[in-house]
Amino acid sequence: MAPLVQVEQLEKRFGEVRALDRVSFEVDAGEWIAIMGPSGSGKTTLINILGGLDHPSAGRVVVDGVEIGSLAERELTRYRADKIGFVFQQFHLIPYLTALENVMLAQYFHSITDEKDAAEALRRVGLSDRLSHVPAELSGGEQQRVAIARALINQPKLILADEPTGNLDEVNEAVVLKLLHELNEAGHTILVVTHSQAIGNLADRRVELEHGRLARISAPSLAKE
Amino acid sequence: MFLRILWKLLGASRGRLAVALIALTSGAAVCSALLNVNLDAERKLTQEFRTLGANVVIAPPAGGSEAALVDAAVLDRVAALRLPQIVATAPYLYVAANSGSQPVILAGTWFDQVAKMNSWWKVEGGWVSSRDDHEHCLVGFTAARQLGLAPGSSVQLRSGDRNISLTVAGIVTTGGAEDNQILTNLDSSQALAGLSGRVSLVQVSVSGTPSEIEGVTRKLADILPGLDVRPVRQIAAAEGTILGRIQGLIFWTIALILVLSMLGVLASMAALAMERRQDVGLMKALGGTVPRIMRLFLAEAGTLGALGGLLGFLLGVILARWIGERIFGVVISARIEVLPITIALTIGVALAGAFPLRLLGRVRPAEILRGE
Repeated sequence: MAPLVQVEQLEKRFGEVRALDRVSFEVDAGEWIAIMGPSGSGKTTLINILGGLDHPSAGRVVVDGVEIGSLAERELTRYRADKIGFVFQQFHLIPYLTALENVMLAQYFHSITDEKDAAEALRRVGLSDRLSHVPAELSGGEQQRVAIARALINQPKLILADEPTGNLDEVNEAVVLKLLHELNEAGHTILVVTHSQAIGNLADRRVELEHGRLARISAPSLAKE
Repeated sequence: MFLRILWKLLGASRGRLAVALIALTSGAAVCSALLNVNLDAERKLTQEFRTLGANVVIAPPAGGSEAALVDAAVLDRVAALRLPQIVATAPYLYVAANSGSQPVILAGTWFDQVAKMNSWWKVEGGWVSSRDDHEHCLVGFTAARQLGLAPGSSVQLRSGDRNISLTVAGIVTTGGAEDNQILTNLDSSQALAGLSGRVSLVQVSVSGTPSEIEGVTRKLADILPGLDVRPVRQIAAAEGTILGRIQGLIFWTIALILVLSMLGVLASMAALAMERRQDVGLMKALGGTVPRIMRLFLAEAGTLGALGGLLGFLLGVILARWIGERIFGVVISARIEVLPITIALTIGVALAGAFPLRLLGRVRPAEILRGE
């Protein structure tokens, strides 16, 4: 079976700066991958390209059979709606929409809205009693759980999480990681950008970047157990 | 979901949207008031113009002898037309007569009709109100001075071997030929001149726009073949010019007000666009296409425009009444056809003012979500 994600000789340049330099790796469906490395190593650039938010300068990126580099802006938008679920460090919820409406917004841009499905997604992340709360009325952990419910709602092929616990305390970090683990157990493919060794150890494999280059790919299976 | 998000958008930035709504409502109020005034003022002004003298004349054919006269039966034929635009019809028979040794021109006419079409004449003493009054006359200001006449004086008039004696009811100042004449009852002049059933000309006061006056003139010409029926060009043209200028003034004022409203909306929307960059970046990341996201914002602007147009229309009706009473001295009634025009104009202004929101389509989600 072909891998879900194929990254071949990927380059991304910002002027003279090479944010990514000939990076290659593959991800199979159902894997949990941690993308690690120091600040400025190209982690977020990599996840932005995988998520169709940025264009590669050279190389090839194929996700679920779609070569992202060849897509026009409109096709990239459709690609994001169909195949990607994002979870950001800053949560990025629309402040004037309720938790339920924030989840439904992803449905709205994907196809049609279904309030029952959106409520079920929020129940799944433990927020069935927070449906009509706006983000300002939710804790950081609850906001991130809304973001996870939003990422899940359209059954994406790939969940991309950029420092999903970066703004959370230990208790909420544990809740979010448990959720991501459950999603992975349920068959979702997850790529998590993280600085945390502890989170990296939870992944099936770690893709480590340094100065935009692939430093190593390791499998911390022992640590995970 | 579209309406749900739209409702939330309207509630989210109440302060900025309120400023835009005030700009739109103010502009719409002035536009609605001016459009109401424009529609009503034309009718009211054309009515008022009809107190400024005749604007159509029926006379013997041009090129005929100066002594040519018109059969007074034309008055019955004009009346039989029952045209609502005809405000007044005044026949005139001019007779050369003498008062003592002084020559004077008599103008025999229908006083009630003359009063109707010349209410601006300055009269010292009183009007003669009935066309059947055979005892009184009005004397022009210059003629009165030459003949030494004042209200209440008696005047003996002679033409050939016929005489009449009249009492002066009032001295009129018109600024025209009437200042040199004595206005009498038509029958009296006809009897004095021995020209029963004849008139020199007929003055007609027709209300309406220049094209409506042309239409009435054509109808009169059709039923009075052989007579010269013509509009008094200077008056008709002056009325047309005044109406045209008022309409031009209203048009350009509305255009200016709409531009100013748009600038007000533009300022609010520019600030709003900065606030919404993050939301748009996120919507694009979630798979929202630019047209779909813009539809939300344009619907928001359009809703504001419709609301501003409706409120502005209502305020404009009040403003139009005030303008009507203060400037034209008339009550201007609300015209429902102004409502859709006001709303359409205000929606157009709101959409044009929402231009900064359209620039949000260029937002790059990767930059926004990085916090740039």
